[in-house]
Amino acid sequence: MYKSQHFEKYNLINGVWDEMYNEKSIVRDHYRKVIEYLAKESPDDLNKKEELAKRLFMTQGITFTVYNSGEGIEKIFPFDIIPRVITAAEWDFVEKGIKQRLTALNLFLKDIYHNQFIVKDGIVPIDIVYSCPHFLREMYQLNVPYDVYVHIAGIDLIRDHDGTFYVLEDNLRTPSGVSYMLENREITKRLFPDLLPNCGVRSVTEYPSILYKNLLSLSPRQISNPTIVLLSPGIYNSAYFEHTTLARLMGVELVEGRDLVVNNHKVYMKTTTGLQQVDVIYRRVDDDFLDPLVFNPNSVLGVAGLMGAYRKGNVAIVNAIGNGVADDKATYIYVPDMIRYYLNEEPLLKNVPTHRLSNDDEREFVFKNINSMVVKKTNESGGYGMLMGHASTEEEIEQYKKEILKDPRNFIAQPTISLSAAPCYIGGVLQPRRIDLRPYALCGPDGIEIVPGGLTRVALTEGSLVVNSSQGGGSKDTWVLC
Amino acid sequence: MLSRVAASFYWLSRYIERSDGILRMLKTNYASSQDSVAGFTWEPVIRIFSGSDEDLIGQLGDDSRAVLKYMVIDKQNANSIVNLITLARENARSVQEHIPKDLWQCLNEYYHTAKEPRIVAGLKKDDPIGVLDVLIKQVMLYYGTAEITMERGQARSFMNIGKYLERAIQSIDILDVKFGPINNNPDLLLDITYWKHLLLSIGGYELYQKTYRDGLEAHNVIEQVILNNDFPRSVIYSVNNIQRYFDRLKNNSNVNDYREISFHIGKLQSNIKYSSVKSISQMGLHEYLTSLREDLYRIGNSLNEYYFANS
Repeated sequence: MYKSQHFEKYNLINGVWDEMYNEKSIVRDHYRKVIEYLAKESPDDLNKKEELAKRLFMTQGITFTVYNSGEGIEKIFPFDIIPRVITAAEWDFVEKGIKQRLTALNLFLKDIYHNQFIVKDGIVPIDIVYSCPHFLREMYQLNVPYDVYVHIAGIDLIRDHDGTFYVLEDNLRTPSGVSYMLENREITKRLFPDLLPNCGVRSVTEYPSILYKNLLSLSPRQISNPTIVLLSPGIYNSAYFEHTTLARLMGVELVEGRDLVVNNHKVYMKTTTGLQQVDVIYRRVDDDFLDPLVFNPNSVLGVAGLMGAYRKGNVAIVNAIGNGVADDKATYIYVPDMIRYYLNEEPLLKNVPTHRLSNDDEREFVFKNINSMVVKKTNESGGYGMLMGHASTEEEIEQYKKEILKDPRNFIAQPTISLSAAPCYIGGVLQPRRIDLRPYALCGPDGIEIVPGGLTRVALTEGSLVVNSSQGGGSKDTWVLC
Repeated sequence: MLSRVAASFYWLSRYIERSDGILRMLKTNYASSQDSVAGFTWEPVIRIFSGSDEDLIGQLGDDSRAVLKYMVIDKQNANSIVNLITLARENARSVQEHIPKDLWQCLNEYYHTAKEPRIVAGLKKDDPIGVLDVLIKQVMLYYGTAEITMERGQARSFMNIGKYLERAIQSIDILDVKFGPINNNPDLLLDITYWKHLLLSIGGYELYQKTYRDGLEAHNVIEQVILNNDFPRSVIYSVNNIQRYFDRLKNNSNVNDYREISFHIGKLQSNIKYSSVKSISQMGLHEYLTSLREDLYRIGNSLNEYYFANS
């Protein structure tokens, strides 16, 4: 154990991979410089840094607004000042694994919306595809530029008790959080002067320029300066800060549905000097709200006629519509098979063993062992509608079982994975808290690029395994070393 | 530029300018309320910025603390400082990627300052001038930052049009309300402190003293507030600036829309330019001010229709 006042109360959690200490309670090499730096600081200094971080987030307006009884309350996405460190070797593996997985998922989407070979060859059962609410007939036989469906993926990774990486979720629709990856880094630069260059931390600042380059390449019109826009639901969306940050960093126009209009299967934006044609839309609006003529007719967030323009090929939409069929939690089970089928490779990143509850045997098994299981809804995200078997009361479990029986297709179960722990500065001392990792992968015509880093989400409540921000999670800066 | 973005700039700027006007007004009026000025009343302030709700005016009476609370932090008052800055910030937020980070931080800070508990405490029992000064400083910081950091383009033009339109309307309202009671009480015409406070509340007292050597006269006040080109809160100065910044929006692709509004602005501009205190009195001050106000509203509506795509 490290001798310093911050570390006295750091108790390793039994049976959990600790990012900082190895099993003999010796600091891992890649954490050494950070720890030495921290040991020199007094608790007072660290408290000051924590204060500074809060203030920086507040004055820069890096907040989300919770609307309660008509009054907006500004909240900061909780930020833990201690960075999470990843070694070059670990990153190398993660990067390769994600590239492989994303390549297969893109091929799957192309296949499923065209010839469906994977279904005909009996690898993925047809009912999984057709019962998924995010499988959209509107996409059938539609060719998208460069056959790329997932331009931006935020694949969630976790580490089991022996440090093995597992994929928890493939987020292929409109993954969020990348602005926190960028802002957390900016804040850390202020908090720990000189520490980043001393440790040899790789930079993440390239993200917006890579994304911009990819968006440019998608323009259907062959012109020198195509119009690219970022479509946001508006200022009341909790991720609005992220939308403005990305729009600003890329220098593209941030639009809302009401700024756009479709005429003759072309999309235009309303400007002070008349209508201007739009070529590429990076949308942060869900499929269902994109076009009231085709999807949810009550939506005012999208643009009437957008799907028509998309089908005509007059506008590129990022990510493609209908990706939900590939990151559905029931499809998730078949991703390793997809990798073998499309790429003829063994999957590098493992899946968490997953049970389909529509399968009678598996359901029975899960019900028997429910105390060591996590049950999730297949098409919910953000940590909503989950049942953590080990932390639920008898009553909650019974209630949830009833719900499952109503529509078993909608549920999957996974054994409780323990999630690795990393040191967090909480209450004036370092304490271990559970974390995950979401790297952001960008897929363009030149292949897949992943900036070295990502968002490390952390469950700030002691003992909690849920890292989602809507459930009391926070985030950390994520360092990948050279 | 997106129409919605242009509209946000315009309104952002109008709300900030309004908050500035209100704060300065409150500061001088609070000072006069402590000065036992004869016939001092908060009524005109409430009338100018919160409409003519008689019940409300009766209810607040001349309780300075109550008026200040109502004008600064009351959420029920659409034009309270807290509401104005919230609206300004929402507008800024929706164009965040178009404004310099410094400016956004400035607005953000103004917003958070206005919500601080010490503001409420200061208005309730401590020194309200101190509180008002803190807020006025935030506005000045905003104007300084905008001046230094804003790109010289369309966005700034829309901001300045909003600012000067709001300012012109404010000056007109202030004159109108302050001259209103004179019909019933002609003695006010000779009341020096009455005019002094009017000038102080719009920051024109020093200029007045430099310009006019013959003491405080109502017709001189009218001249300065409407016709003096060197007075930054005069109507003519504001309209000239509306014209100046609108001119920069001329563009090959919107000639017709441009011409339509340009015509209204030009007409208003010459109307004021070729007025004198004498001609204004002949027409009747209230009627004259009403016609100016209508012209300004028309300009605002045309902007809405032709540039903000809200038709």
